[in-house]
Parts: sequence; structure tokens; C-alpha cells
Amino acid sequence: MIALLDIQNYRLDIGTFDGPVHVLKGINLTVNRGDTLGIVGESGSGKTVLVRSVLGIGPRNSRVVEGSISFDGQDITALPEKDWTKIRGIRISMIFQDPMTYLNPLFSIGRQISDVIAAHEKAAGQGVSSKAARRARTEELLDQVGLPNLSMLFSQYPHQLSGGMRQRILIAMALAGKPDLLIADEPTTALDVTVQAQVLDLINSLVEKLNLTVIMISHDIGAIATVAKRCAVMYKGEIVEQGLTRDILNRPQHEYTQRLLAAVPDIDVAPEKAAARAAETPSAKPGHLLEAIDLKKVYRSQSGSEVTAVKSISLAVKTGEIFGVVGESGSGKSTLARMLLRLIKPTSGDIIFDGQNISGLSGEPLRQMRRHMQFVFQNPHSALNGRHTIGDAIGEPLRIQTNMSRRDIEARTEALLDIVQLPKTFKYRYPHELSGGQKQRVCIARAIALNPRLLILDEPTSALDISVQAQVLDFLQELRAELNLTYVFISHNLAVIRQICDRTIVMKRGEIVEQGETEQIFLAPREDYTKALIESGRKTSQAANL
Amino acid sequence: MLTFAFRKVLTLIGTMIGIAALTFLITNVAPGDPARLVAGPNATEDMVATIRTEYGLDKSLPEQFFVYMGDLARADLGTSIVTTRPVLEEVMRYAPATLELVFVAMFLGIIVGVPLGMLSAVYKDGPLDQITRIFSISGVALPAFWFGIILQLTFSVDLEWLPVSGRLPLVTRPPDTVTGLLLVDSLISGRFSTFWVSLQHIILPAIVLSFPCLASILRVNRAEMIEVLQSDYIVAARAHGISSFRIVACYALKNAMLPTLAMIGLRFGWMLGSTVLVETVFDWPGIGLYAVSSALSSDFKPVVGVTLMIGFFFIVANTLVDLAYAWIDPRLRKA
Repeated sequence: MIALLDIQNYRLDIGTFDGPVHVLKGINLTVNRGDTLGIVGESGSGKTVLVRSVLGIGPRNSRVVEGSISFDGQDITALPEKDWTKIRGIRISMIFQDPMTYLNPLFSIGRQISDVIAAHEKAAGQGVSSKAARRARTEELLDQVGLPNLSMLFSQYPHQLSGGMRQRILIAMALAGKPDLLIADEPTTALDVTVQAQVLDLINSLVEKLNLTVIMISHDIGAIATVAKRCAVMYKGEIVEQGLTRDILNRPQHEYTQRLLAAVPDIDVAPEKAAARAAETPSAKPGHLLEAIDLKKVYRSQSGSEVTAVKSISLAVKTGEIFGVVGESGSGKSTLARMLLRLIKPTSGDIIFDGQNISGLSGEPLRQMRRHMQFVFQNPHSALNGRHTIGDAIGEPLRIQTNMSRRDIEARTEALLDIVQLPKTFKYRYPHELSGGQKQRVCIARAIALNPRLLILDEPTSALDISVQAQVLDFLQELRAELNLTYVFISHNLAVIRQICDRTIVMKRGEIVEQGETEQIFLAPREDYTKALIESGRKTSQAANL
Repeated sequence: MLTFAFRKVLTLIGTMIGIAALTFLITNVAPGDPARLVAGPNATEDMVATIRTEYGLDKSLPEQFFVYMGDLARADLGTSIVTTRPVLEEVMRYAPATLELVFVAMFLGIIVGVPLGMLSAVYKDGPLDQITRIFSISGVALPAFWFGIILQLTFSVDLEWLPVSGRLPLVTRPPDTVTGLLLVDSLISGRFSTFWVSLQHIILPAIVLSFPCLASILRVNRAEMIEVLQSDYIVAARAHGISSFRIVACYALKNAMLPTLAMIGLRFGWMLGSTVLVETVFDWPGIGLYAVSSALSSDFKPVVGVTLMIGFFFIVANTLVDLAYAWIDPRLRKA
């Protein structure tokens, strides 16, 4: 039997301004019919370039140095564009990471899927079928991926649908050609936990029903373990380890794999910090640093309709604690965070920071207040100005809020780099010269430059690789002890919340559904929603922590 | 969609009132006594005073403003001093010639600019892209009057292919007026020879007028196409097996058209303003030429009338662009 996909010693360079970069260094990979293969690796390891090369849609300036890719016995390494039409989307198809950006916003769902069907019919040389026939086939595909209200869905546009529905639509498009091989490129990364579990279930059921061969790439080893029987670990353009997923999870051979597995937070492990802190916490009850009373935010659209992002939330954050906020996208977490910092004005309600009501502040008093509270954003890549050096970025709050001399600012910047464990010489560098984890450290350094008392961290690790996430989380805990900080920590990742938060609130549609000590919530959740969240988080977490 | 359109029309009316008020303000804040200007340099004080009363210039500014707005509401743009005929009537007589010129120029700009922009994006940094780059830089850089004269010298004087100026030869009887646009009217009345002749007349001024506009449409469309072609949904479309031609011509073009449309709307207003130069060079009997000759004889009512007219067409064009936006982009329909 010939392998469905056979990659032999495949080496690929990408031409850049500074000369070629070796992106893939001798990849050997074989996928047989009916296989489910996972490829795991961090960003920049070359996994996306590899699977895109299989589909002939690799980066523009790439050059195959050596090796070959053959599909079902046919060499496709240097296939001319016209021959690809018989393969792309028909025999090999692909689903993508972010279903919002991978669907064209200006065309209806029905139109996009029927166009794919038409393209396949044309490529097969059988002539394009009627509009009605394509519509019937489209609805059949949408039904296959478990979507309701087919006829309405047909004329809807991507922005009218939720993330999970959009991902199902992308899967339906990929199934349109009845492919032999389905490539899934981080299919769950941009989705909420509960939706992630659903999409993984869907992929699993399709594998069974349609006898699909699947290659799934992800940095989330839990997602891989849920779907893939075999697994390959990529690191810096090489496959450092491959075999049965079970074996790799149990007995990782390569040093990188071991590091990766150690970094995966386990939702079912009670962190040591709880015990450790219980011992050290002073008996005196600490006061509240931040309080929100009946906080509400209503957005009004131009046409007059109202959307309530946050409905009457009350909470109290104690001095020195890590206060977790967990919830799915659209639950109002970010709106709440922005209100607490007074980046936006609440529609009603009070925010008490250190005994002062700041909900009505504006102008200079509010600006003065800002030095005590800072924000760390989700994506460090977009939170830093690419044309400012790291030194400029860290020094900026000092220039704005203080009248320190240039020399003092310089010295403080170096000290801050030291605190976040980066070399002093980094102040001359630009953001693109830093890795994701380093950039997030710079963002944290910028946030603590003015010695604030409160840091609000909005998903600070979700744009980072898992091994980097572990480092940043450790570092954040150290920093808190050192500088006496209070954190409000927002995340959709329950395992992370459990690892570091003292108390947690669970949000759903702008309301708090459950709150209390983090451990208590995880051990004995009271609300169904919390239970469902933990259950779906557990699914991937357990798979990874066999 | 209907409420969206309705709101846009309301905005249009509001903007129109704003433009009218602004025009009034500028003509009154501008230095110089309008009455004295109208009376001419040799007029006596008495004559100036008479003219002041006659034109209502002795009233207070707010009073004058209400009279002016009231007149506008009744579509009364005042009377030209030179021709002693209602300005509205004259503007309406000259406007079709200008609109015809602008429409043809815009048509050229779009049918040449959009495909060239698209091709330059697909073959980025290739020979075609370099040629269109030079082409569009010269489009923006060449002064219209100079370019017009060069074209006249080449195609009319030396080669004698096309007429030098005017809308129709004096000997040709214009077709019956239906829309006022000669190209359309001649087709309606079935006079194809007149259509051909007027096409020959309009081609050079339309090229001169459209050149800078074509250049900016081309560049905007190119930049947008390059951006769109790198976007995720284009990668996905390729992965799903849709042909390259269809991706570029159907999918990417629609996305890239949004900013291009905005540019077209802006350029439409710019063109209406620029016709003043082009009409002078080509002796084209439109409102630009009318405004210039009125201004030279210190006849202010026509100048204000033309300004309002250009403002009106500009706003209408941009309202249409807004509606087209909503038609193309489903995300805007609800807003």
C-alpha cells in the first residue's frame, strides 16, 4: 500500500531581505489512509509552512532546496498551478485558525460554499450544476457539520454568526470536495473553551463517518491528543520526535517535548500556592483596594438599539490578591476591565479605588489616578509601537506622568528591564527583534514603571506559546510578591486561572454567575454554566495529561 | 437598507443647508463692498447707495441671511448683472455640458484605472507595475492646462484627428434636448452622426480631466488589492480550490472596491471644480467657463450659484457612494 502523503527530506528556504532563512530542515513524514496525525510545536516552528506546502499555497518567496512531497503516488513538489485545481479543496482540503478572517466578509455563506462546489465541478470537467442543485448540496454540507436553520443560514453573512458557527462553516467548505486528506491548522485556537470541545468532537465524528485522513496542527497538545492517534513534534523547522500520541505524552524522549509537556497547566491539579499562601497570609484582614458597585455598561448603536455589555456587576478586590475573571468571548470581561481602569465610562454604578470614587472622574484628576493602575494587553505584538525602541516604550509613562530628568528615566528603564529579567541592552532594540514572551515582559515593565498598585491583565498569556506562558505566569507571581501588587487577571483558560488566582468570578453575558475562592469553584462548582466550562476545559486538559 | 437610505437623504439636505450658509458667510466676510464692486470703479456715492438698497445690502447681516435662504428655498439664485437673466436658468443651461464631461471622464477613470490597478497588484513589481507607476505619477503631476494644450497640438493641429475645441461644430444642429447630455440625446433621437461628432469633441477634454483621477483610482485600487490578496480569506479561497482568476476578479476586487469607491466620490467633486481649467482650455460651454467669465466681470450671483451647484452634485455623488458601500458591504446595512 502506498502512503497517502509522503514527505521525504523536505527542505524549504524563505528569501528575506537579509538572505534565505531555513524554515524547514529535512522533514520526513508519512501519512497513511485513515491516519489521524497531530503536529505540535510553538509559533515559528514551521508547522504552518509545512502543511501549506502540502497544498501548494506556501509563502511567496519560498524555495524548495531539497526533497519531495508526494500525494497518493503523485509527486506534487513542483506541480504547475493548473494541475493543483484537481487537488486543492477536492482531494486535500484545509480548515483554518480564525474563522472570522478566513471567511470573506462581503459574501453570503451560501454564495461562498456554492462557489467552492462550482469550482470543484469545473475542475472535474463535468460542467457546473444548477444553482438549486448547488444550494441543496450546500445545505446538505451545513447539515453534516451540525448547523441548524439551513435555509436562513444560506443567505447570512459571516459577521452575523458566532465563532463556533463560522468554524463549522469552514469545515463544511473543506468537506465540499469529499477530500481524502483534511488539514486542520489550529482549528480551535481562536474559539471559546466550550466551543473548542464541540469542534473537536465534530472533527472526531467526521473522521469516523467519512473515513477521513486528518493532519491537525496545534500548539495546544490537549487538542492534538483529543483527535490524533499519532503525533509529531516540531521544533525550529525539524521534526524532533514522532510516534503514537499516547507514547509521546507518557514518555517524551526529546528535551523540547519534555519541556513542552511540563509547561501545560493541568486543570485538575490544585496548585501549591494555595497551601503556601495560607501559611504566610497575615491574620489581619487586608482591606479592599478596588470595589465596583452595581456597575453597568450599555452600548447604543447608531440605529438606536441597545446592547448591555455588563449588567450591574459588584465586586471587591482585596489588596495583594490575584483576582480572576473567567468567561467566554462576549461575556463582558474586557468591558468590565476597561471600566475598572476608567478607560471607558460606565453607564451607571460606582468604582471605588483605594477609598476614592473614580467613576465620575475626568480630565486631570483622572490622569493623576492612572499612575496607580495599569493595563497589560492580550497581544504583546500589537501593544508595542513597532517604530519605538524598547527603551522608549518603557520610558513613556515616566515621561508622561513625572518630570524626571532624561538621565533618571534612562536609569529607571534599565532597572525595570532588570526587574523583568531582560538584558539592559534591550532598550536599544525594536519590538520585531524580540520574541513574544520577551515582548510581554516589556509590556509588563512598562505597566509597572510608575509603581502602580493595581495591574489589570487582560488575557496576558493567550497570545503566547505554552512554554512561554508558563514562564510569564511564574514571573508574574514573583513580581507580585516583590512589588506588592494587586492583580485582576482575565482569562478564558481555566487551568491558568486555577494555577494563579486566589478568588475568581465567572462571567456570562455581562453577569457574574458564580464567585468565590478559586479552589472552591473548581472543586465544587455550584452553577451549571461553571460546571460546563470546567468540563470542557477538562476534556483537552485531561487528554494532554494522561 | 431603506432606513439607511432615508437617513442618508436627510444628511444630504442638512449638508446642503450648511453649504448654503457657508457660501453666504464667505461672500459677506470677504473684504470689499459688494455694492461698490457691482457699481464699478467710476460710480458716485449715490449710485452705490442705490445699488445697496436695490440688492438689500443695507439690511443687517442676519436679515440678509434669511432673505438669501428664503430665496434659495424657492430655488431663486438671483439675477446676473451682466446678462440680466435668472442665474438658475443660466446654470441649468450650462450644467449639462459640464456633467457630460465629468461623467465621461469618470467613466474613463474607472474602466481604465480599476483594471490597471488590479493587474499592477497581481503582477506587483513587474514591468506592468513599473509602467503604471510612472503613468500615475505623471497623471497627478502634469498641470491640466499644459497637458490639454499638448494634446490639442498633437491630435488636433498636427495630426488633425480630433477637433480643437467646443462641444459641436457650429454647422451641426444639436439634437432635441431631453437630458441635456449631447451623447445621450443624439442617441435618443437616433442621430448617430451627431453622436459620433460629439464623441470626437469630448474625447480630449475628458482625457485631460480624467488623467489625475485615473491615476489616483489606479493607485488606491492597487494598494487595496495587494492588501486584500494577502488576507486570510484569499488564502482560504485558494485552499478550497477556487481558480486564481475568479479569486482576483470576483472575490478580491469586491473587497478592494470599498476604498476605491470612496476615492471615486472624492474625485468626482474634485473634477467638478477642475472643469474650470479644462473648459477654459477647450472652450467647453459648461458652468466652469460660465463661472470664470462671471467672476472676471465681478458678477457675483452666478459665482455663488455655480458654487452651490457644484456643492450639490458633489454631495449627491457622495451619497450615492455611501449607498453603494452599504450595497457592497453587508456589515454596514444595519448601522
